[in-house]
Amino acid sequence: MLDAFSRAVVSADAKTACIGSGEIAALKQYIAKANTRLDAVNALTSNANCIVSDAVAGMICENTGLIQAGGNCYPNRRMAACLRDGEIILRYVAYALLAGDASVLDDRCLNGLRETYVALGVPLTSQSRAVAIMKTSSMAHINETNTEAQVAASNAMLQQRYNKMETIQGDCSMVSAEAASYFDRVISALS
Amino acid sequence: MKSVVTTVVTSADASGRMPSQSDLESVQGSIQRAQARLEAADKITSGFDAIVREAGDACFSKYPYLRQAGEAGDNQGKVDKCYRDVGHYMRLINYCLVVGGTGPLDEWGIAGAREVYRTLNIPTAPYVAAFAQARDRGCAPRDMSAEALKEYKALLSYVIESLS
Repeated sequence: MLDAFSRAVVSADAKTACIGSGEIAALKQYIAKANTRLDAVNALTSNANCIVSDAVAGMICENTGLIQAGGNCYPNRRMAACLRDGEIILRYVAYALLAGDASVLDDRCLNGLRETYVALGVPLTSQSRAVAIMKTSSMAHINETNTEAQVAASNAMLQQRYNKMETIQGDCSMVSAEAASYFDRVISALS
Repeated sequence: MKSVVTTVVTSADASGRMPSQSDLESVQGSIQRAQARLEAADKITSGFDAIVREAGDACFSKYPYLRQAGEAGDNQGKVDKCYRDVGHYMRLINYCLVVGGTGPLDEWGIAGAREVYRTLNIPTAPYVAAFAQARDRGCAPRDMSAEALKEYKALLSYVIESLS
């Protein structure tokens, strides 16, 4: 597993060279944005349950066949497996975001994931849809664009889950774009 | 490759949990010192050739017997290899400064080094002399800031410790 720093080391070592000033400048960028990144990871971990359960609920709302007899979320056991998988994927995305490098996500989560789902008969379109919803709601949590009004508009049950991180407002476009790219990586690995 | 972030992620993954508050704290702790470390790494990159030359010269001037026939530096090829090895260690120090841990030195520099040097009949004392020169020659704020110099010297001491 690599992070942004060890990635620079491994690629420099392949050339038997010192780490160039270009790479060092990029790492300084990582450090300058480190607090934003930690806040973003915190936004994902503190709202993990909300993000995952909403995504799975959303996936099922769009395709209610999933919870009817014969559907892939039909007995609670399979629904629970689906929620668990959503949480695992979100966890690896959080790791990748913390590390600033996708290798942990690739090696430990996505490698063979598609084949496993195909073998188990899990519908990949539903799974990628759930990841896409997780991506959208994670973006809202990281950028703090989730508003009470939005929640109230949907339903009252979700209102109890409304959680604003109250971090200092600033530019987190880079980190949220990076997080989005990890979700996209999961989606493309599944499709 | 070990660094603070990968250590944290590995242990979180082993117990299957999200990165916890204390994990994030420890990452932040290492990030706070990263500025100084990257400065030192930057200085090594830019002054690499000069540092290696000076350190290598120091070992041959302290141990001139190395150039005598039958010793470890009795022809130019062997002398060049000594300078090359010093360069390797400095490069690994440069990596260690970037990752914020001794992972690169441990994995690529120190593991097995003692056995290799013994088999090839190469004394390690001259290397110690070379790295001691590189360490003691460093001066703040002429070469780099005081914090950066502290990180740089700590890693050189680590190498010296492993070779002595």
